[in-house]
Amino acid sequence: MLSGKNAVITGTLQGIGRATLDYFAANGANVWACAFAKTDEFESHCEELSRKYGVWVKPVYFDLLKPDEIKAAVKLIMSDKIPVDVLVNIAGIAKDALFQMVSIETMKQVFEINFFSQISFSQYIVKLMLRYKNKASIVFVSSISALDGNVGQLAYSSSKAALVGAMRTMSKELASKGIRVNAIAPGVIDTDMNKVVPSEVIQEKIATMDIKRLGEASEVAATIAFLGSDLSDYITGQIIRIDGGIK
Amino acid sequence: MMSKKILEGKNAIVTGCARGIGHQIMETFAANGANVWACARKQAETFEKNAERLSEEYHVKVTPVYFELTDKEQMKAAVKQIMSAKLPVHILVNNAGITYNALYQMSTIDQIHQTLETNFIAPYLFTQYIVKLMLRNKYGSIVNIASSAGLDGNSGRSVYGASKAAVICSTKALAEELGNKGIRANCIAPGITRTDMLSSMTEEVINQTLMSTDMNRAGLPQDIANAALFLASDMSSYITSQVLRVDGCM
Repeated sequence: MLSGKNAVITGTLQGIGRATLDYFAANGANVWACAFAKTDEFESHCEELSRKYGVWVKPVYFDLLKPDEIKAAVKLIMSDKIPVDVLVNIAGIAKDALFQMVSIETMKQVFEINFFSQISFSQYIVKLMLRYKNKASIVFVSSISALDGNVGQLAYSSSKAALVGAMRTMSKELASKGIRVNAIAPGVIDTDMNKVVPSEVIQEKIATMDIKRLGEASEVAATIAFLGSDLSDYITGQIIRIDGGIK
Repeated sequence: MMSKKILEGKNAIVTGCARGIGHQIMETFAANGANVWACARKQAETFEKNAERLSEEYHVKVTPVYFELTDKEQMKAAVKQIMSAKLPVHILVNNAGITYNALYQMSTIDQIHQTLETNFIAPYLFTQYIVKLMLRNKYGSIVNIASSAGLDGNSGRSVYGASKAAVICSTKALAEELGNKGIRANCIAPGITRTDMLSSMTEEVINQTLMSTDMNRAGLPQDIANAALFLASDMSSYITSQVLRVDGCM
């Protein structure tokens, strides 16, 4: 499905990012696997993917909070002198607090990682994409809480909602250049990020779903792969909910 | 994950396979490993031959099923034919439909009835039959081909758009009723797509619409078929009750 594509994926250390890395490699994509920190486990995982699927998976380490590190990462990717066909922005953080309790410092930190750094990184990568004049695809990971709101997630939901606005504008600006831009809105996915949520809250959420279970990271990865691939050639400016039908 | 075809081992029913989007869905599903009951209104030699060709080329079984969507007896007979294969039905794509363009004030009662009958009521009844079959295995994915007109409401499309809006609403209800029984239901909302249906619109309207489309081109039947492939397959196993616009962003 993705064979011959070169993809940049951020946040590949764990959760949805890791599952997306695995899904892309298994479906024939070469991947610059971006991560926050270098670990032995991650290095050997990337090597194993390369070996197993006959692709290359290159770890790229940088902290999204550090503009210099973002720049260095982009330089590293550029130095390979090959086109970037797909960019998937996954890295993000959640800091839960009620509206009346959330500090502006927390808001700024969440926006820095979930929004500003992703826009900045995407600007660099789009520049690269334009250089090769290939068709390309960008996928942002928003959230259902950006669309529906969610108690205790003021910072997270607003930062993810900002991504939707950016995605729609980027889609309009970049469509004529052959670059599609879409977002996904995962629901409650079985990842570490949701391990901090009390189980009774999870059970309440599940009761509102059509498919009465949590989603798997691999199910989110499959949709990202669809949007990254040529299968979605005529889809841009859209947000796809992967939420088991939460009402 | 890699070597396996996306619909390997799946059995799918697709309506409206004689041409346009349905034809492309049939081809795409077969190419991706699905056996297809290819539904069309009337028997035709070219259709039969094409079904045979697809079966041979992709090592699947493409079986023509003929029935007039709005003829209840013919529909029953078609369901019987499908049941007689004694195979699980994994996928249903309700694609067959008619278009109707007329200003609100000019739309006739007969056309309103006919459009709703073909685009909403008939696929509703057909889905009732097929869901019964899917429930036996507690597994199924239903993909209904709606329209951007069913979401946006466009001049001259009040009747057609309403028929597709009805499809969208009932799909969401179905998704909620059957979600815990392993059955998913989603819609695709195509925008301007290069099929015979387009001939019902004037070039002027088409060009105007394309101007307001980010991608500045009309969709191809293959674009819609690829989205149907995604929603029909297990790639979308946690997606239900959704409407996916395949419209180049109108």
